[in-house]
Amino acid sequence: MNPVFQGLLTILIGVGGIFAYFVLSNMLLDKVLFPAKGPNASRNINRANLIRPWLFLAPTIIALSLYLVYPVIGSFIRSLYNRSGDQFIGFGNYSSLIASPDFRTAFMNNVLWALFVPAVSTFLGLVIAQLTDKLSWGNIAKSIIFMPMAISFVGASLIWKFVYAIDPNLGIINAIRASMGLNPLDVLQLAFWNNFFLMAILIWVQTGFAMVILSAALRGIPEETIEAAVIDGANPFQIFMKIQVPQVTGTIVVVWTTTTILVLKVFDIVYAMTGGNFNTQILPSYMMQFMFRDDGRATAVAIVIMLIVTPVMIQNIIQARKEMR
Amino acid sequence: MIRTLSGVSVVALLAVSASSASAQDLMFPKGEGDFSWAALESFAASHDYTGEKLMVTGATTGDDAERYRTLYAYFTDATGAEVEYSGSESFEQDIVIASQAGGLPDVALFPQPGLAKDLASKGALVAVDDAMTDFMTTNYAAGDSWKQLATFPGSDGADHVFGLFFGTDVKSLVWYVPEQFEEAGYEIPETQEDLFALSEQIVADGGTPWCIGLGSGAATGWPATDWVEDMMLRTASLEDYDRWVSNDLKFNDPIVVNAIEQYGKYALTEGFVDGGPSAAASTDFRDSPDGMFDFPPKCYMHKQASFIPIFFPEGVEAGTDVEFFYFPPFASEESLGRPVLGSGGLASVTNDRDVTKGFMEFLGSPIAHEIMMAQGQFLSPHKDANLDIYTSDVQRALGEILTTATSFRFDGSDLMPGEIGTNAFWTGMVDYTTGKPAQQVADEVQTRWDAIQ
Repeated sequence: MNPVFQGLLTILIGVGGIFAYFVLSNMLLDKVLFPAKGPNASRNINRANLIRPWLFLAPTIIALSLYLVYPVIGSFIRSLYNRSGDQFIGFGNYSSLIASPDFRTAFMNNVLWALFVPAVSTFLGLVIAQLTDKLSWGNIAKSIIFMPMAISFVGASLIWKFVYAIDPNLGIINAIRASMGLNPLDVLQLAFWNNFFLMAILIWVQTGFAMVILSAALRGIPEETIEAAVIDGANPFQIFMKIQVPQVTGTIVVVWTTTTILVLKVFDIVYAMTGGNFNTQILPSYMMQFMFRDDGRATAVAIVIMLIVTPVMIQNIIQARKEMR
Repeated sequence: MIRTLSGVSVVALLAVSASSASAQDLMFPKGEGDFSWAALESFAASHDYTGEKLMVTGATTGDDAERYRTLYAYFTDATGAEVEYSGSESFEQDIVIASQAGGLPDVALFPQPGLAKDLASKGALVAVDDAMTDFMTTNYAAGDSWKQLATFPGSDGADHVFGLFFGTDVKSLVWYVPEQFEEAGYEIPETQEDLFALSEQIVADGGTPWCIGLGSGAATGWPATDWVEDMMLRTASLEDYDRWVSNDLKFNDPIVVNAIEQYGKYALTEGFVDGGPSAAASTDFRDSPDGMFDFPPKCYMHKQASFIPIFFPEGVEAGTDVEFFYFPPFASEESLGRPVLGSGGLASVTNDRDVTKGFMEFLGSPIAHEIMMAQGQFLSPHKDANLDIYTSDVQRALGEILTTATSFRFDGSDLMPGEIGTNAFWTGMVDYTTGKPAQQVADEVQTRWDAIQ
């Protein structure tokens, strides 16, 4: 069958099917099981209303438990077995991970990423949002800064590969060095600092996101508070730090945590730029090394990543719900 | 009216695709040229699978896949069985998933045998029957080496031959530009000692002898593993090489460390490599040979496998603008002969049917190899395949290296467990090239190997 036709058919069955499910199940509930008429009409309406949310939530609950909860549990169980999956070894995979220097490098690098990237991109996003707010060409500047968001991580990595290229005719860093008479240098091989050169790519991509959200939050601040500060003689820096920032703290936390979650998932940049060489490994790309070879270890790394992400995610949800109220 | 029209056109399209599948316009008309048509005729006479269908999967896609489809058309023509080939870039993952979840094809073309070994032990592959066990020994040059490479323990624990090798690459090659060699008066070295002396000579003359590039995205480092494997074959016995691949000889054994250091003699010596070792570690292997074609040349030699000409700059003609010589053995190690390092694809049966057996026989016939050779980019160790079929002198010379080798050994990293051969060995070589001592690198790889439970 033609793949296009197949795709259309899938959409049709999927969307149409779920639509039919909602309409029909609702009808079944209202007309057949608990009809809103007859001697028990009011009791029936109450019962139907009790059941209805579950009816509507059921497809989501089933899909989520099938595609999220089951894989998490399955992965955890798999991580307790050996390489070929036929022998139970308890937490053997975890203890050998902790003993492995590669894992520790990846872990420490990931901590660096998780601290540095969200901090810098949120800071830059906030500053840019404030600075461009009153400018006539502010929107153009914002659009340009936002643009990297539309590029995939691998695409962004390819662009930055040119920036970091050793050839002074290609790479801007080495072009500058060459103009000063210095020898070309591969920044991706600079021990320790190469991590920051990789992080720069994600910051470049993520700053636009932080900027857009924070810019909207800054605009939502009541004008009166700022006017009052101006009348009281506050200078622009004081207004920004003491009036505006405190009022958008909630949004800053959401942006920060969202970026942190993203950072802990990103593997494409390291994979495409260095392949984890030169001590730039991070946990997700470290996991990739074991996938389809030693699934026991790969799932163990996956569980470790999940354990790290979960508290950040819970914080993120709590904060987001607070914002909504 | 429009509806009927489109209905007609769909029917017409189906008819066209069906006819192209069954009538099969053969690329090389039967009976013409130097092909072994007799082999095809006798095969056709003894095999008839009319109406049957065969699923073949492999890692080759695009133009390469078309070359294989051209070949399968002859199988269809001879037996009447239809062959459906689907190639996937993620074949290595797909076939593992298919072996666990169901949906295996009839025949799988493995780009390297390490993965086939894994699947064979899980019972996903079908061993060839007794008549075919010694097929490669009798028909391939260095056939015993080939047979050994396709022999692994099956799910019953006993050793069997799982399939046959189809398509090879030769790795023990050094590429150079003849014009530059002539101008500078350099001779093709016959021994490792000469090669090293030549490298020193080039440095003394103010040039740079080597272009090395290990960059390959996530696979960065693999070109250096080829160097080490070639050095292993030239400094250690074949037994030691095989024991190294199976880790009976530890990775941090002095023999292996010595081979790594032999690579280092070229890669790490000051002035030997264009840009120095750190540039070698990050230059993409596809861009690395470009330096040979600059003027003045950035380097004079490049060691790489037989597939590299497709990455040469446009307009460079292999055979005229660029030539290769065999990566020579050490004069001091004469007993080791002329070993050849290579890689190749293994065709294995994943579904036991009569038609799949017939298909394997077909892949073993000289005509199948010739049809692939005639389309270029394909080397065969098959002794009965006519070398005149090769489309270029370069291809023919490569084929000759393969058929005159005293021993053939497979790319060791392709045979090692995935964590080592496609990971720890690669990154270890990058570490070594950027300054870690060989012993420490070897120790780390061995630690990783020990960690595989």
